[in-house]
Amino acid sequence: MKGLLLKIFLETRWPVIFFGAGLAAIMSILTWVLPTILGDIADVFQSIPLIKPLISALLGVDPDSQFSAQMTQAFLWVHPTVLCTLWGHEIMYCTRSPAGEIDRGTIDFLLGLPVSRWKLHIAETIGWLASGIIILGIGISGHVIVAQQFVEKMQPSLSAISMILCNLMSMYIAVGTIAMLVSSLSDRRNRAMGVVFAILLVSFLLNFLAQFWKPAEPWARLSVLEYYRPAEIIQEGTLPTTNIAILLTVGTICWITAGLILRRRSICTV
Amino acid sequence: MPVIETHNLTKSYGARRGISDIELSVNRGEIFGFLGPNGAGKSTTIRVLLGFLRASEGSAQILGHDCWSDSTAVRQQVGYVSGDVRLYPWLTLNRGLQFTGQVRGMDLRSHGLELAERFRLEPDLPVRKMSRGNRQKVALVLALAHKPQLVVLDEPTSGLDPLMQDALMDCLRDMAKEGRSAFFSSHTLSEVETLCKRVAIIRDGQIVSCEQLETLRRQAPRVVHLTFESPDAAAAVEWPNFIRLQSQDGSRCELHMDGAATDLVDWAATQTLTDIDVSPPNLEAVFRQFYGDQWGADR
Repeated sequence: MKGLLLKIFLETRWPVIFFGAGLAAIMSILTWVLPTILGDIADVFQSIPLIKPLISALLGVDPDSQFSAQMTQAFLWVHPTVLCTLWGHEIMYCTRSPAGEIDRGTIDFLLGLPVSRWKLHIAETIGWLASGIIILGIGISGHVIVAQQFVEKMQPSLSAISMILCNLMSMYIAVGTIAMLVSSLSDRRNRAMGVVFAILLVSFLLNFLAQFWKPAEPWARLSVLEYYRPAEIIQEGTLPTTNIAILLTVGTICWITAGLILRRRSICTV
Repeated sequence: MPVIETHNLTKSYGARRGISDIELSVNRGEIFGFLGPNGAGKSTTIRVLLGFLRASEGSAQILGHDCWSDSTAVRQQVGYVSGDVRLYPWLTLNRGLQFTGQVRGMDLRSHGLELAERFRLEPDLPVRKMSRGNRQKVALVLALAHKPQLVVLDEPTSGLDPLMQDALMDCLRDMAKEGRSAFFSSHTLSEVETLCKRVAIIRDGQIVSCEQLETLRRQAPRVVHLTFESPDAAAAVEWPNFIRLQSQDGSRCELHMDGAATDLVDWAATQTLTDIDVSPPNLEAVFRQFYGDQWGADR
């Protein structure tokens, strides 16, 4: 296991630092500019009517015409650039093995070593979870520093941040394990990345359509965003245990299935 | 106990040809050649042996462990180099020895660096800056560094220069002397001929022959060149049944001979010959016969 973790560290250290720094930069900028931008959002809602359902879809609640301080804080956590950075990292990381290894032919070398496929799966999972925590940690530090130094309105409470992070991490786990499942079924990394991207896109669209199209409402339950609600956490101050449980259940099922498929499948690079 | 033992080993890919009813037995201390043209099923057999592919039927064991259900234990005692070596671009030999050493739970540095010296390899050069031959050498060093009981090499000399091919052959001979084994796939007869005592020949996914090389040599025809006094004499000759005319160029004839040279000497004494040239047994002719039409296409 130690050797596998060393390999994962050598392969992923720079991307993790870049994604972390990117997330920190994005969250700092958003912390800085969101209060100003969202202060004038009523005008934007009037001139571009599509923006409101889009923001409602992301937040999970109707932001009204005036964004409160709480809504502004919540919007930071559902901003598409934040989610895309995190998902981008997940898509890249979780399709590395086995799809990426098969694709570039290095799986022959890796599986020539005395490691069980389950061990490989567990090592990849440890690396993925650790990288997620590091990236989020770096990203949040950017937000906290800017909020505390410059933007009083965006100063988060520790309990709210902890609960949002629990919800965000459970979504991270659900999305990552879906990517692992797709990867375990695939021999081509690009194809696996494309499938996961399509799943996330459909997930986002379902959530968006459900805001103004009744028939899409029941389908919105299939979207991961349906179970990620920072606005509700900030408003109500309670941990969304049901949402977290659903996301973690999806994550567990996908993770075990991915491991079983990897364990049982024939792997061929030629 | 044989090092490798397969019974009725079959892997089918649906419409695509796989391997069928492979029966192999490789003994301890043996360098075993696995010959066949491209696409004959050599790599598929190796992949099943290493537990990359699940056999559709039959069984395969290495050192007493089942190749699929106990493949981790198999690979603990086996070194493997794939046919088309692909390594991580960031890998250097030193990092590779550290990484594979940790996976195998042993320190590979000292023997690995000895091998690196033998193969003239820079330990700190990353794979992304290496030529194909050097990448092949890194893979070989990493496969041999833990002194495996069995090394499985899938066409290992492709990309190696002749000197390094010799170094590899020496390594394998040293292994065999220590009672360790090598399973060596190739489509090049000459390298198998210099190294192996026993070979299996695979064609269209099936073993068509598994013999001692010496036995095959005895089956192999010798090439005989006879030069007659005149083209007319060559044209008029009646050939005995132990030689077969292959071609005639004026007074010079090329023939294939089965059996001992004494018969030829007795018969030649009755002919009007000016020269006789008898070559060693032509193993290539035997392999051509097994390979059939594919041989010509692959060369």
